Amino acid sequence: MFETGIRQLRLALGMVGGKRLNTRNLARLVGDALATLQEFGEPGADVQQLVDGPFADPEARDHLATRGIQRTAARLAQQSPFYQRRFAAAGITPGKLKLDELGAIPVTVKSELVERPAEFRCADTEVHLTTRTTGTTGKPAEVWLSKYEIDLWAGLGALSAVLRDELRPTDIMQVHSSSRATAAVHLDVGSCRLAGAGCRVLGIVPPDSALDGLTAGGATIMATYPSYLAELVVAARRRGLGPDDFPLRRIQVGGEVLSPSLKKAAYAQFGVESISDSFGMTEVIPVTARTCGQGHLHHDINTGYVEYLDLDTGEPARPGALATVVITPFFPYRDCMPVFRYDTRDVVRLLPDEPLTCEVSALPACGPLLGKADHLLRAGGEVVTGRQLTEAVEALPSEPWPGRYRASVHGGRLRLALPTSAVAGLSEADARAHFAAHGLDVAELTLVPDSEAVGLRPLRTDLHELTFAAGA
Amino acid sequence: MADDLVFTTVFELFVAVGGTVVTTVLALFYLRRVRLERPAVGVFNGRDIAVLLCVLALLPTLYVVLAHWALTTFLAITFMASLSIGYRPVVRNQGLLWAGIGLLLGANIWMARTMLGTVLGWQLYWVETSVIVVLGACAVANLYVQGGMRLKHVARFALLLAVYDLVFTAVTPLTNELAQDFLGYPLDPSFGFRLGLFNATLGLGDLLIYSLFVAAAFKAYGRSAARFAMVVVVVFGAVIPATAPLLINFIDARADVVVPAQTFFGPGAFAAYLWLRHRYGRERTMKEFLASDDVVHAVVAATPAVAVEPVPAAPAAASAAIVD
Repeated sequence: MFETGIRQLRLALGMVGGKRLNTRNLARLVGDALATLQEFGEPGADVQQLVDGPFADPEARDHLATRGIQRTAARLAQQSPFYQRRFAAAGITPGKLKLDELGAIPVTVKSELVERPAEFRCADTEVHLTTRTTGTTGKPAEVWLSKYEIDLWAGLGALSAVLRDELRPTDIMQVHSSSRATAAVHLDVGSCRLAGAGCRVLGIVPPDSALDGLTAGGATIMATYPSYLAELVVAARRRGLGPDDFPLRRIQVGGEVLSPSLKKAAYAQFGVESISDSFGMTEVIPVTARTCGQGHLHHDINTGYVEYLDLDTGEPARPGALATVVITPFFPYRDCMPVFRYDTRDVVRLLPDEPLTCEVSALPACGPLLGKADHLLRAGGEVVTGRQLTEAVEALPSEPWPGRYRASVHGGRLRLALPTSAVAGLSEADARAHFAAHGLDVAELTLVPDSEAVGLRPLRTDLHELTFAAGA
Repeated sequence: MADDLVFTTVFELFVAVGGTVVTTVLALFYLRRVRLERPAVGVFNGRDIAVLLCVLALLPTLYVVLAHWALTTFLAITFMASLSIGYRPVVRNQGLLWAGIGLLLGANIWMARTMLGTVLGWQLYWVETSVIVVLGACAVANLYVQGGMRLKHVARFALLLAVYDLVFTAVTPLTNELAQDFLGYPLDPSFGFRLGLFNATLGLGDLLIYSLFVAAAFKAYGRSAARFAMVVVVVFGAVIPATAPLLINFIDARADVVVPAQTFFGPGAFAAYLWLRHRYGRERTMKEFLASDDVVHAVVAATPAVAVEPVPAAPAAASAAIVD
């Protein structure tokens, strides 16, 4: 107990001092958390403040954010060639930067990271592992990570997951994400190692192989993409598997839109206690976000600063408006190739300016991710988002999971192409009525053969990895 | 002289047994009914014993070295901390709690300064001091046991204290010096009483380890084990040390009895622990204890805790699918 207090103090002092944290100390804290759970069955009463931070007070929130921004900018001005130039051009003093002065620094966009990755690398770090974005939204970005940050993220992730009962020593986590997403895989493996849990990394393998691991393999947690989850639901139904066949207790998904219909089906199919829909992005780890019970998206503002900028003006968005999420991970949480004001191009709608009443109301929130800004459509004066389309398609009676479609706007009207089987049993009028009920005025509905469905919209589940067993 | 020895021995026996029984029974009563707030992360472990022992080794030296005003301040802060933490869940009105603590400690300082000219004054002073000490020992024992301290830890701690007490009583007479130094000063960390010229006392540290032993035995193995532990505590912690002066002359010139009680208690406690472990096996966790019928389930709910340790943040999701 005393040494746990000392470890917490060491970590806190490291944070206040703005220096790299001792990752071994953090790993020991995870051990302390496990011992606490073993003895008491649950963490102490202050656990929410421990994992979410003391952010109910907006002043404390701004104070922490200002310090984080100043610390991060000061380091980047010294160590990152890209930001040395950018800050100099903006005429700001990094160590004295205020939150309301951030607008003077242009946002960083993905193309800059893709074209000039070496300029983002900090001079005071040693590279250890490279990770790539999956490239579903364009040319993949390659991001170098230091050993320190990999250890740090695993430690922070494990501590958070253990205290929230998202990861137990008795768990086996089965991971289905692209094998090139090494950061995500390392985070899963590292978190499981620290928590004493098992970890099975399979990748995007044929669904039957995945189901074998989820049944006989005893997996209790699955981490994957919504589109792959959809394939698993379909495959499990085909094999006649039900909730009693799966020891799963949690499914965590991210990276794509999880529709309510698919979520409901996954609950019924796998019999899990929870399906968490979280946000993560290679470029801005460890700033993540999770979805609360009321469907809000809560970004983790302990480790970074999150801005919501108006899509048209680039200024802070107003309540109720659509906004792109711009994230600055703080030092010492991001080490090797940090970004500053990184425009994720993920679109959210800001919530009304009212107090939150959800279970994580101490953290600020926005609406759920609606899709990428560059994929928004404007039809009949209305904005059509990727989420709207995915939710509408996946809610079709045929349950066409994962939802495949191609949407475009011609002459201000929405055109939608779907696989033939998606609207099986429905007349065109019925199909239009279905979409109208989901707020979509589909002017033209085109059907394509099912064999061409994959070409309509790339999904992460398309990043198939072959196995000899599947080929035999 | 021989009559004095018999009288002081019997007197010491009554004080020691009385203090031991009152404190341990109160600690058990508390453990069954009151839940203390605990930090989000942290459970008592073996290394914490080493920390406690280091503190224990340094404290007496500090007591001797410090000026009396500084020592009184230090003791007042220590008692305030233990009483406020321990009785926050019991006295829900925080104003009342702090007023009570202030009254207890203030009265003790006042009595020590003004009432020690008569035997009755001494007796009132000891009764008041003993109330503070019993409440403090009960609170701290529960803080540790409810924080995850196990019987194994207590038994090892007692064994180490046996060596410590022997060294600082027989080899380096620091304990004797302390007993004399504290006598008649405010907030003497002892349970005691006075009859005529004789003061009989039992140290706060002794009461704490006895309460820990009984409470940890109860938490670990239940009622039978607690009864057994209580017998061990009374015999090895009170009866044998109190009657020891009849055999070993540890009486100083003022006839204040100073006996290394832990030297008798430590081996007995450790042997008792080994027997309990042999008989009952693995100790219950706090979770298992709280789920048992050894707990009175209409517990007094704890009020919100003091400010959390300044700990760092953690990312929202351990293993979110991280993508572009």
